[in-house]
Amino acid sequence: MNTPKALAFEDVAVGQEAGPMHKGPFTTAHLMRWSAAMENWHKIHYDLPFATGHDKLPGLLINGSLKQQLIAQLLKDWAGPTGWVWKIRFQFRAMNLVGERLEIWARIKDTQPKDSYGLVELELGIRNEAGVESTPGSATIALPFREGPPLPYPFVPPFA
Amino acid sequence: MTILTDEIRGYIGRQSEQITACDAVEPGAVRRYAQAIMADDDMTYAPDATAGRYGGPVAPPIYPAFMFRRPLGTPDVLSERAEDPDFDGLVSSASDGLPELPLHGRALLNGGSEIEFLRYARHGEQVTQRSRYTDIYERESKNGAMLFVIVETEYTAGSDVLLRVRKTIIRR
Repeated sequence: MNTPKALAFEDVAVGQEAGPMHKGPFTTAHLMRWSAAMENWHKIHYDLPFATGHDKLPGLLINGSLKQQLIAQLLKDWAGPTGWVWKIRFQFRAMNLVGERLEIWARIKDTQPKDSYGLVELELGIRNEAGVESTPGSATIALPFREGPPLPYPFVPPFA
Repeated sequence: MTILTDEIRGYIGRQSEQITACDAVEPGAVRRYAQAIMADDDMTYAPDATAGRYGGPVAPPIYPAFMFRRPLGTPDVLSERAEDPDFDGLVSSASDGLPELPLHGRALLNGGSEIEFLRYARHGEQVTQRSRYTDIYERESKNGAMLFVIVETEYTAGSDVLLRVRKTIIRR
């Protein structure tokens, strides 16, 4: 059970990091557990002859669909019980293979106060132990002002 | 050799029907999902932790995008294509309701997504989705031509939009 602390817009600044969060090493059992949870049976995550023979991959791939959950988890925990992860964007640029350990990281690039809450722009990614970045991306998180009202829920995006 | 034919280009703009997931947001499915993503988050199971903001336990943020399953009484593609050496195990057309692109045998890779979150799905809620091919384009790579397929999906519960996903699927 996680107990993230409440974060206010005034608590954050450009350059500050969220995380990092570490996961792994990932085994075929982890990938099968995820495949079963979402009932998706793409063979490149568990059928080594198919992955390497048919699809010409270097091995069994850690699901991109699983890696995006880790990004959401890092950001949601960082935003805490009063913040809101509004948008995340990521590209799967490199493969991560069974056996790897992953570091999920994020860093504040910009902060923008709006009328009733603040927006925090972050760059993010997922690195393996060799330092290879596989999942570059960005995110926009809303945080309440310290003396301001709680964020609307469901979330109401700001006017441009 | 180009992959992007006029036939495939004709899929741009096509959208699915509004589809309701065959199962509501089930606590057991949420538990398996939370354990599979290694996030034993109290918002997924603890009423006390969630009553204020969420109105009860909720599913992990991206859960609605992964809860559309093959309903009972529909064809079992895994069995139908069990002896097809090119079958990659994906049953994607059953999950997003879009017509399958005529790219039989071509590998499928997940290129990434943009996701906008507006609220989380509560336990017991029915979730619907509607998807659309918003763009399909081709790029050359060192491994040959690749097709980038952009699919946008909106997930709703009642009158609320839960999240919007703009997914890039790569076929090569």
